[in-house]
Amino acid sequence: MKQIFYQAMKRLKPTMSAYDPALLWCVLLLLSIGLVMVYSASIAMAEVDKDTGFKATYFLTRHSMFLVVGLAAGMFGFSIATRHWQDYAPMLFLFGILLLVLVLIPGVGREVNGSRRWLSLAVINLQPSELMKFFVVLYAADYAVRKAHSMTGKFIDSITKVLLPMGLVMALVGALLLLEPDMGAFVVITAIAMGLLFIGGYNWQLFAGLVVLLGGAFAALIMSSEYRRARVLGFMNPWEDPFGKGYQLSHSLIAFGRGEWTGVGLGASVEKLSYLPEAHTDFLMAIIAEEFGFVGVTVVVLLFTFLVFRAFRIGLQAAKLERHWQALAAQGIGIWIGVQSIINIGVNMGLLPTKGLTLPLLSFGGSGIVANLLALGVLLRIDYENRQMIKGYSL
Amino acid sequence: MSFPNTAARQAGRRQLRPQPRLENWRTWFVLSSLLLLFAILLGRGIYLQGFNEEFLKEQGDQRYTRNLKMEALRGMITDRNGELLAQSTTVQSIWASPRSIYLLPKGQERPHDWRQKNDEEQVPVSLTEIHKLSSQLGVSDAELLKKLFDERVNSKGEAQKRPDFVWLKRQLSPEDAKKVMALNIPGIYSQTEYRRFYPAGEQLAHVIGFTDIDGKGQEGFELTRDKTLAGKAGSRTVIRDRRGYIVEDISTIVPPLDGQTLQLSIDRRIQYLAFRELNSMVERSHAVGGAIVVLDSRTGEVLALANAPSYNPNSRTRIDPAHRRNRAVTDLYEPGSTMKAITAAMALDAGKVKPTTVINTDGGRMTIGPATIRDDHPGGSMTIEQIMQKSSNVGAAKMALMMDREAMHTFLKNMGFGEKLNTGFPGEAAGRLRPWKDWRPIEQATMAYGYGASVSVMQMARAYQVFASDGELRPITFTKLVAPMPGRQVIKPETAQAVRKMLEMVTLPGGTATRAQVIGYRVGGKTGTAKKLVNGVYSDTARVGSFVGIAPISNPRIVVAVMIDEPAFEMRYGGLVAAPVFSNVVAGTLRILGVPPDSPTENILLPPPGAPEILEET
Repeated sequence: MKQIFYQAMKRLKPTMSAYDPALLWCVLLLLSIGLVMVYSASIAMAEVDKDTGFKATYFLTRHSMFLVVGLAAGMFGFSIATRHWQDYAPMLFLFGILLLVLVLIPGVGREVNGSRRWLSLAVINLQPSELMKFFVVLYAADYAVRKAHSMTGKFIDSITKVLLPMGLVMALVGALLLLEPDMGAFVVITAIAMGLLFIGGYNWQLFAGLVVLLGGAFAALIMSSEYRRARVLGFMNPWEDPFGKGYQLSHSLIAFGRGEWTGVGLGASVEKLSYLPEAHTDFLMAIIAEEFGFVGVTVVVLLFTFLVFRAFRIGLQAAKLERHWQALAAQGIGIWIGVQSIINIGVNMGLLPTKGLTLPLLSFGGSGIVANLLALGVLLRIDYENRQMIKGYSL
Repeated sequence: MSFPNTAARQAGRRQLRPQPRLENWRTWFVLSSLLLLFAILLGRGIYLQGFNEEFLKEQGDQRYTRNLKMEALRGMITDRNGELLAQSTTVQSIWASPRSIYLLPKGQERPHDWRQKNDEEQVPVSLTEIHKLSSQLGVSDAELLKKLFDERVNSKGEAQKRPDFVWLKRQLSPEDAKKVMALNIPGIYSQTEYRRFYPAGEQLAHVIGFTDIDGKGQEGFELTRDKTLAGKAGSRTVIRDRRGYIVEDISTIVPPLDGQTLQLSIDRRIQYLAFRELNSMVERSHAVGGAIVVLDSRTGEVLALANAPSYNPNSRTRIDPAHRRNRAVTDLYEPGSTMKAITAAMALDAGKVKPTTVINTDGGRMTIGPATIRDDHPGGSMTIEQIMQKSSNVGAAKMALMMDREAMHTFLKNMGFGEKLNTGFPGEAAGRLRPWKDWRPIEQATMAYGYGASVSVMQMARAYQVFASDGELRPITFTKLVAPMPGRQVIKPETAQAVRKMLEMVTLPGGTATRAQVIGYRVGGKTGTAKKLVNGVYSDTARVGSFVGIAPISNPRIVVAVMIDEPAFEMRYGGLVAAPVFSNVVAGTLRILGVPPDSPTENILLPPPGAPEILEET
């Protein structure tokens, strides 16, 4: 009798799950929305395109395949102990640079729409810049951990031993990305690196000074020339040239306007009828906004907010457990997903100049999905290990 | 998975390193920054989707909504038996948007994988494509190139943008248009239009009229009944995808209201007959023109109305404006002797004379002031009936002078002269009847035999209709009636009957119009041979020969008025040039209408051989 009661009590007692189910569901929800919306946004365009063989489901089947590969990658990321990721971070980073070099070699890299971003590998096209974002997270976290002493040490050390090497490496990566060109990836990678240096404990006064200095220099550069100002700030008024330079953005904004609060309904978008270019990739958010209105926008933004929040919470927990690399890696993933989704949605809403960045987890695109899910697998692994430690298991 | 060597080594290295001091505030700072940015996105979403949406939707509408006009099918026009007289059929018109294309240099073709980058980008078109298009359209390459690629210059000499719309070929048959569109040349489009087709062609051109290339009525009933025939165009507001296909309707469709069918009172068979007879006589007599009206005397319906020369309303070539004139309704002429029947009716109705009253025609001469009235067939004393039969001007003048000026004016007005017929026909002539107060005696006298007052053929026919229907004047109508419209008794029935008898005598031996006789029917009528006013002076050679008559006399059914304008001089007499037309038309019409003969057949009472034909000159 006593035994039975004990057993029952044990069952009733809330036990901590081995992983973070909320985060997992959040990701799966975003993937599902993405799958549906990629199909919805591409259906009309695929139907009339010679390149897709006039198949309405062309992008749906591709995207589904990417999701399967991506989920496998996520499971792979989850199944490897995080210390291995840390150990191999510099090598992976070097591997990423190698890929970025390869992609620039004519004949090896494939050019689409004037950008050399893809490596043709037998069956699939690989986009190294997407993978590079993941590698930068791993590397920057490792770098911050390794340079912990110098960062908080002497002022001169924080510059020569931390900032300068990192700056040089990032300049190399940045140069490679800008040669493609892939401005979006460059911005995301810079944000990850700087964010992790900051969280890693870099002298904040110096950091703030640096940000102000760089920002000021950039602003001065833009404002000093009429031409550059027009190039960079042109996005602010797409209605000046709505059929030329402002074409894509004005149609994106129209999609938002047409959606109003609750949207025109799934499948009822007009902008996707060949009006809005790249509706299934960079401008997927505009179609979501048109078909589901502000409600749809809010759901997607809140899901991303939750995802980012969760990544930072996992990071904080890891930090509490003295797992510094894991803490930084988790937050790096959070910065990556957060910054990229903010920029993408911002571009869609006309707040930022067009960058060529996809919406993480939702937009069509194999490499992006795979890289995102691989990173989220690692994030879940970090969380899993946190929980194991809290429960008292050793890793 | 394990990495035996490296893992152990690196783990060892990890232990030796100084550990970073992760401060929570830094994490919170970065996280809040990101959350703030997400909040900004939501704020922007609220602005775009909740407050700026009017403007944005408007911009969207400008880009992909179109207000489409849905053309209404123009109503048919049929004759009284439902025979088709005018019908609209679907045709295709080819148009181009020159602004959206540009010409490739000779020998160059558009690559197969060519794609338009945005709406503004011009599509290249090769010369071979232009050649294919021109041969399919049946125009020359040069003409097509000029239409599509000629740079236009405005008055200041500045180059202008090429137009957005230009017709290449209108109203092609659907099959031909399909061939053109199958060439798949960018910037070339087709549009459905309607083309009007007139099965009766030139026979009825003046009554029906025609429409212009845009389907608007230009003449005849196509013009006057344009509103009911045209119907009302419908509209729909649609969203189109970028390739121009309609995706959905965004407002309720206002369906087009097709035009109503217009059923005319015209009988196509009678019309054909009238047109044929008139035309052959105009040709035979080398006349300038002619007009004929066939009225149903019981209802006032127009059974036929034809003019010569006519035109083919199906042909789009330029139509001579002179041929477009509907002489029977819009042209005025001085009727001459056909007016005498009206004069006689006036005198009879007023009780001034009886059919048997004898009037001395004074040997065919009568002098009023400086003017002298003459008769062609001078006689002494004649009865009113004889005056009519021999068409004595003096007798008619004497009858008129028995009347008070005002009474005569009122009578002529009552008979429908000097006022419009209100048939709803464009350009209808009212005729000219001067105010009686200005009349001098000579004018009153000449009016008695048809000079000094101008009338239309239709008015003349209508006046005779009064005799046919026992004194009732009916409104003239071109549309089929269910029941006759109420008429107005303008003369006594006895007067009408008496006039009918006189009219019959005109066609009998001893009268001026024996050629008006019809086998099997008793007919009556009056000839007219009026001098034409040329530059204000009565011409010596130009005449208007006319005949207005009623058939059958015993129970009148139709009134036919024939007018031949300027026939050859030897054919100038109404009895020669107009009466035979009357005869042929009446014979056919009565048979078509199924009117039983009221006289034994094979009974034409021609003057005895050798007897001189009586031809009147007024």
